Amino acid sequence: MKEPPSEHLDPRIKSVWRINDALSVALLAIVFIVPFALVGVLADDASWAFIVVLAEVVAAIVALVLVVAVVPPIRYARWRYELSPEYLDIACGIIWRKRYVIPFIRVQNTDTQQGPILRAFGLSSVTVATAAGDHHIPGVDNATAELLRDKAAELARLAREDV
Amino acid sequence: MSAPTESPVAGAAAPAAPVEKHRVHNSYIWLGSLRAVGLVVVVLVVTSLSSIVSLIELATSGPTDLIGAMLVLGAAAVGVVLLLGLVVLVHYLAYRHLWYELGPHEFTLCSGIISKKRVHVAYPRVQSVDQRASLLQRLFGVCNVTVDTAGGASNKAILVPYLTKQQADTLRNELFARKQSALQGQAAGQQAGAGAGAAGAAAVAATMGTEGTNAAPSAEGAAVAASAAASVASAASPNVLAKGEEAWGVLGGGLFGGEAVDTGAVTYEHGLSNKELVLTGLSNNTAFLVAMLAVLGFVSQASDIVFELVPGSSDVVNGTVTSMVASATAGPLIGLAIGGVMVIALVIWGASLLGACVSYGGFHARRRGDRIEVERGLLQHQLQGVSITRVQSVTVKQSLIRRLLGYCEVSLGKIDAATGEESQQKQNGLANQGLVVHPFVKVSRVPEILAGLVPEFADMPTEQQHLPKPALRRGIVRRTLWQGGGFWLAVTVAVLQVILNAVLSDPSVWDDPRDMWVLPMLNMFAIAFYVLAAVLAVLDVVGAVLWYRHSSFAVSRRFMQVTNSGLSTETVTFPRQKIQFGCARANPLQRRARTATIQARTAAGVGGTTVRLIDVSDEEAAGWLDWLKPRTA
Repeated sequence: MKEPPSEHLDPRIKSVWRINDALSVALLAIVFIVPFALVGVLADDASWAFIVVLAEVVAAIVALVLVVAVVPPIRYARWRYELSPEYLDIACGIIWRKRYVIPFIRVQNTDTQQGPILRAFGLSSVTVATAAGDHHIPGVDNATAELLRDKAAELARLAREDV
Repeated sequence: MSAPTESPVAGAAAPAAPVEKHRVHNSYIWLGSLRAVGLVVVVLVVTSLSSIVSLIELATSGPTDLIGAMLVLGAAAVGVVLLLGLVVLVHYLAYRHLWYELGPHEFTLCSGIISKKRVHVAYPRVQSVDQRASLLQRLFGVCNVTVDTAGGASNKAILVPYLTKQQADTLRNELFARKQSALQGQAAGQQAGAGAGAAGAAAVAATMGTEGTNAAPSAEGAAVAASAAASVASAASPNVLAKGEEAWGVLGGGLFGGEAVDTGAVTYEHGLSNKELVLTGLSNNTAFLVAMLAVLGFVSQASDIVFELVPGSSDVVNGTVTSMVASATAGPLIGLAIGGVMVIALVIWGASLLGACVSYGGFHARRRGDRIEVERGLLQHQLQGVSITRVQSVTVKQSLIRRLLGYCEVSLGKIDAATGEESQQKQNGLANQGLVVHPFVKVSRVPEILAGLVPEFADMPTEQQHLPKPALRRGIVRRTLWQGGGFWLAVTVAVLQVILNAVLSDPSVWDDPRDMWVLPMLNMFAIAFYVLAAVLAVLDVVGAVLWYRHSSFAVSRRFMQVTNSGLSTETVTFPRQKIQFGCARANPLQRRARTATIQARTAAGVGGTTVRLIDVSDEEAAGWLDWLKPRTA
C-alpha cells in the first residue's frame, strides 16, 4: 500500500506497553498456576499437577519474553499516525495491518486520558470518537495530546450538522 | 390544536410566546389501565389457581363452609376492585402529569408522578418521528409516537403515548417544519408560523397559526396538496389489503382519530400491488429453507438408491438378513422424518406468507417535502417518517430466489435508537433491514423509485471497480474452506464416524452382538451427509465465483457504492458525507496477493454499520482512502 503516515508515537510508549502487558501476563499466570500448585501441594499422588504447573510456568515465561522483548519494538514501528489539517490518518497492526482515515468534521468529541503508568512516563492517550466508533492513539507526549485534542475539537465544531 | 382536555390558561398575562401544554388523549387512562389490569388478572389467576380449586371444593362440601367460601370470594372481589381502582388512579395521575410542549427552540416531554422527568429535544436534533398503533389503539384512533434523535449508540427514543391520529400528524408535521426552519437559521417559534416558504411548511403554517387554534389549512396549501395527491394517485397501486386501509379511513381513522391533518405536499408515492405482496411472502428466506429441504429429500432418496446398488458393503460385516432389516427400518424412518420436516417447513412458509401480508398490508412509501414516510401494517399500524438528511444509505438486496425472479428489496439505512419497542423488533430480526421502502420490486423499477423517493441519491457512481484476479482464488478458499458449511459438515461427520467406528466395532461393547447392524447403518447415514456436504461445497464454490464476478465498489464525487454478491446479492450506496471513517486492512496473505479489505463505517443502525468489501487491489484501496480525505474547496 501507499507510504505510511509520518508521525511515530513517543518512544517511551514501548516501556508502557512492556509494563502493562507484563503485569497482565503475570496476573493471568498467577490465576492459572496457583490452583494447580495448591492441588500439587495438598493432594497425595498429584505429580500430574506439577507437570501442569511446569507447563504453565514455561508458557508464562515465553509470553513474558514476547511482550517484553519481541512485540513492543515491532508494534512501535508499525504504529504511525498523521495529523493533517482535515483528517487523522492512523496505521497500526502487526499481522492485520490497518489503515484508518478519520475526517475531523466527523469527529464528535475527543478526550485525553492518563493512567498511572502513562502519567509516570509523562504520556497521554487520546481518544477520538465519531458517531460510529472510537479510535485511540495510545501514547503521545502531553503537549501533542493537547494539540491533537484542541485541533479535533475545533474542526469538530465546524462540522456541519450531518451525522 | 384540539387537545382533548384543556387549552392553555396562560393567556394575555404572558408577554413572551405562551407555550401550549399538549396533553395526550384520555384513552391513556382507560386503555392503558385495561392493558395493565388484563396483565394483572392473568397473573393473579395463574398464581391463585390452586387456591380457587380448593375454594370450590370447600364450597361444595357443606353449607357452613359455603358461607366461609362466600366470604373469601367477597374479599377477593373487593381486592380485585381495589386493585383496579389503584391501577386506574395511577394511570390517571400519570395522565395528569404527562404533557408535551413545542417551545420556541425545543420539544419538551414532561412525565412522572413523584419523580418528575423532563426530556428536551432541540428541533435540529430530531431525526425521525414514527407512529405505531396496536389493533386496539387503532380501533380508537390513537397511536404511540416515537421521536428519535441522532445521539450515537446510547441514544434513546422519546415515546409519547396515546395521541390521537390528528395530534400525532400535527406533532410530526410541526417537529419537521420547526426543524427545517431552525436549520435554515430563522428564528423558530412564531417565525415558523409565518410560513417558511418551503412547500412543506406552508400547510403547517396554517395549522400552527399564532393563536394556536385549529385553523383550516390555507387555500393555497390545500390546492398544492390536492394537485399533488391527484398526480400521485396514478403512481400508487394499492393492493387488496389497502381496501381494508380505506375502510379504516371511512371509520375516520378510529373513534377519536379526529379530522385528517394536511401534512404537506406529496411529491412521490408508491404502494404494493397484489402480486408483489403475495410474492414478498413467498420469496423470503423460509422459501429458501423449503427449497433446501427438497434438496435434502432428494439426497436421501439418492443415498437409498446407492445403498440398494451396493448391498455387498454391508454384507461383509453382517448378513443379508440384518441388511434387509436395516433398509426396511431406515428407509421409511428417513422418509417419515424428512416428510415431517417438509410439512413443518410448509406450514412455516404459509405462516410467513400470512405474516408478510399482515405486516406489509396497506404498504405505502411516499416523499413529502424533505422527508420520507413509510406506512404499513394491517393490524398493527405503523408510520415511520425520516428526514432526508438522516438517510445514511440506500440498500438494494436480492436473496437467491428473488434474484432468480429478477426482483429485489429496497431499504434505507437510518440511525436507529434503542427503545424497548425497538429492541423487541431486533429480536425479530426486523430492525436490521433498515427502513424498507419497497419489499419486492422489479430490478428495472428501482431507479424510478429512488428518483422519486430520494432524488438526492441520483448521482450514483457508475464506474465499478471489479476485484483483481487473486480475489477469485482467495474467495474460493475462504468460502469453501474457512467459511464453508459443506467443508465443516464433512469434517464433523468424519470425526464422528471415526470415533463411532472405533468404539462400536468392538463386539464387547454390545450386549447383543446382533445389534451390530447399527454400525453400517450409521456409515450409510454418514455417506448421505457427505453427499449433502458435497452439494453445499459446490454451492459454496458457485457462490464464490459469483462473488468474484459481480462484487465491486465504485465511487463518484459524492457517493460510494459497494456490491457484495454471491448466491444472494446486496448493493449499498451511501454519500461520502455519511462515512464516519474508513479503514483498509490486510493480513499477510492478502499482502502477498497485493489485495486489501476496505471498510466504510456509517452511523446507520444502532451504533453504526460497517460496509465491507474483501480483496480489493491495494492500489485501489489506497486510492479509495485518498478519495475519503476531505477536500478543501
